[in-house]
Amino acid sequence: MFKMKLPPLAQREGPSLDLGKWLSDFFLRYGLILTLILVSLFFSLRTETFSSLDNILDILRAVSILTIVALGITFSVVVRGFDVSVGAVTGLAVILSTALMVIWQVPWYLAVLICLAVGALVGLLNAFLIIRLRIPDLLATLGVLYLVQGLQMSITKGDAVYKGMTNPWSPTRAIAEGAIHPDFLRFGQGFVFASEGFRGIPIPVLIMLGVAIIAFVFLELTRYGRIFYAVGGNSEAARLSGIDVDKVRTIAYVISAVLATVGGLVLAARIGSGAVKSGDPYLLDGVAATFFGFAVLNARRANVIGTVLGAVFVGVMLNGLTMLNIAWYVQDVIKGLVLIVSLGLSYYTTRR
Amino acid sequence: MAMTSLRATGLRKTFPGVVALDGVDLALHGGSVHALIGANGAGKSTLIKILTGYYDAYEGRIEINGRPVAIRRPADAFRAGIEVVHQEVDTTLVPYLSAAENLLIEQLAAPGSGLFIRKQALYRQAQQIVDELGLEIDVRAQAADLSLPQKQLLVIARAVSRRAPFLILDEPTAALSIRDAERLFEIMRELKQRGVAFLYVSHRLAEIQEIADEVTVLRNGQKVAHFVGEAFDIAKGVEAMLGAPPGELYPKRQPAAERRLVMEVRGLCWGARLKDISFDVYQGEVLGIAGLTGAGKTELLRVLFGCEQPDRGEIYLNGKPVRFHLPKDAVRHGVYLIPEDRRNLGLLVEEPVRMNVTLPFIRDFSRLGFMRPSKEYARVLQLMDRLKLVPRKPDLPAKHLSGGNQQKVVVGKWLFGAPAVILFDEATQGIDVGAKRELYAIMRELARSAAVIFASSDIDEVLGVADRVLVMRDGQFVGEFEAEQADRQAVMRLAASTVHVRS
Repeated sequence: MFKMKLPPLAQREGPSLDLGKWLSDFFLRYGLILTLILVSLFFSLRTETFSSLDNILDILRAVSILTIVALGITFSVVVRGFDVSVGAVTGLAVILSTALMVIWQVPWYLAVLICLAVGALVGLLNAFLIIRLRIPDLLATLGVLYLVQGLQMSITKGDAVYKGMTNPWSPTRAIAEGAIHPDFLRFGQGFVFASEGFRGIPIPVLIMLGVAIIAFVFLELTRYGRIFYAVGGNSEAARLSGIDVDKVRTIAYVISAVLATVGGLVLAARIGSGAVKSGDPYLLDGVAATFFGFAVLNARRANVIGTVLGAVFVGVMLNGLTMLNIAWYVQDVIKGLVLIVSLGLSYYTTRR
Repeated sequence: MAMTSLRATGLRKTFPGVVALDGVDLALHGGSVHALIGANGAGKSTLIKILTGYYDAYEGRIEINGRPVAIRRPADAFRAGIEVVHQEVDTTLVPYLSAAENLLIEQLAAPGSGLFIRKQALYRQAQQIVDELGLEIDVRAQAADLSLPQKQLLVIARAVSRRAPFLILDEPTAALSIRDAERLFEIMRELKQRGVAFLYVSHRLAEIQEIADEVTVLRNGQKVAHFVGEAFDIAKGVEAMLGAPPGELYPKRQPAAERRLVMEVRGLCWGARLKDISFDVYQGEVLGIAGLTGAGKTELLRVLFGCEQPDRGEIYLNGKPVRFHLPKDAVRHGVYLIPEDRRNLGLLVEEPVRMNVTLPFIRDFSRLGFMRPSKEYARVLQLMDRLKLVPRKPDLPAKHLSGGNQQKVVVGKWLFGAPAVILFDEATQGIDVGAKRELYAIMRELARSAAVIFASSDIDEVLGVADRVLVMRDGQFVGEFEAEQADRQAVMRLAASTVHVRS
């Protein structure tokens, strides 16, 4: 579990502090944070706009959806599960929310509630397949990934959702009369605390911070978090300690799907329309952020601060690389290399 | 082949804090069955592991046909012609391959065996091996579909078919019916004629009398007796396995001020593993359950704790019928389990001691859902003092503790609750004598306010710590003794009598 202090250094017996060991400990613990600072410094020296407050907030806004989705993945990983359906669930929320507003003219708040409920149902379905039917998590959620993706496209018969689209369900091919409400769009595009000379803080960033803080408090400070980590640590021992392991894992999958839905709602509000399969990239980037988080502070387990830093790290890299005019097709190569190196360091050193 | 011999001298293996094997000599000769017996923890498995290359660090010398050999890896043992058939056959079979493929897996994996498998030839060859041994196994069936005895015989057939001069059989009859066991003995006698040297490990002394030419008895890692041929009988074997009665290891029994009936179990059945189990247990007593590994002790405790659902039978707690669907329900009623295999079932090894011990009653350490770290630390430190748990560091991951202290963590997590019945399953396995003594004392203390059920395959231990002892064998209770008056050899004989699982 994430800890603020440094127990191994403090607990070492005797006065002899081996410098090499200390250094390697130090780098394991703070390596990712140091890299993040160094990369930021590098980019701000090379480009003029990188370190401006607006750009920082832009980066945070760019990673806000990713962070929310990644925090959902973090919950499933904490209980030693895995959920690959999140990208599809994100996409489902995008299409479902916009379609409800544009095609069926549902009030935006009702559309949000419906999406959250559907997200929770997908989480329950994952849990049912994994816990009751005992399908391995990766396979069960892969099946659900396809299922949800298909549903997503079926809602509009494969069309994207935008104002003035033809209603795919209308026999006369009438124009859909609804629109995406401006209040809804604020979740993706709005700012708060704007003042003279300051654009304000983007609302997606606030949502991300809210989710991250709640997740942090839940996992690190409450007994529920303790129980989640216990189930992930050794589910059989947790069961024999009187914990309802199945319930805990079910909740984790529901949280995962609901947060993927929240990410999808923010994404829909941000782009103002519903593009098909727009949630897909968040699966891989979210998994990457979660596993980057393993290396943060050498926690070697999924944790909220690690995931947030991991997501920001991914965002900073992409933003910086774009500013340096690195071709988009090279960016994935760099992402992959950085993930491999940070995980390699974290796992290789724990072997001994 | 007539010259085949294996001679091991001075085998010694230590683990941190424990000497598992202490200078043991052993000789195997072609055409002879050497039986190895001993109570749990006597060092039998350590000895087998050394001979099969499981350990690379140990002391001692191994000679084959007079020439020293180094056995440090499984491949070394294989080259030396040592084959082992383990108790758990499932781990050595590939479930979705056919019996024939499993039987000849070596050939399939060998370099130069060709890219494609010639199934018909394979089946023919496998059938030949099976016929030669007189086994009834469908070589085309998937290994997963074979019955347990069939799997056992298949693994034995595989070892035999490799023509290894040394064959180690570890509890081979545990899953066999009387007929299959007899068949196995016939095969063994035939292979003896061909010059194979056997090391035969078993708890079942009657079998040993029947099949063994030589018997070595281990106790506490040492060779304590060696019999040749007719010199062995069951009584002598039991005596050597048990040794002199242990001294002041066990706490004094205190006559309970009041004996209040806490739990009644009536007619409990669970599959083929538990058959019509009935007993009472009282507050103020330690009820011992003695039985060999596989007798059903673990299964019984798991049913009582709600891990498994009984097929039939009732459990009454304080006079009221209860049914536990999950361990959670048992815990709520004050029924707690200290499971066997503490590393895998009892502990979160990566987590700190603090997190381990507060897990079951974590609600007591939180307010409105939020953890209260200061309360948690204070009470964990109190607990560590009470249990003499060292080092006194609540944040130390459990994996860094010694076995004895780990076990104190597993017991300690229940001490924050209100126990009615506490179930101990092989609670002292792999821990040193000092820690054992402390655990017994803790148990006695717990027995003052609760009923304690103590299950162990160490007969002396059960007789030493319990007030009353039930002997278990093949899923049934076969005897009851007052611990103080019980004759340990009688208990051992009862527990070790040859009664095969009837299939």
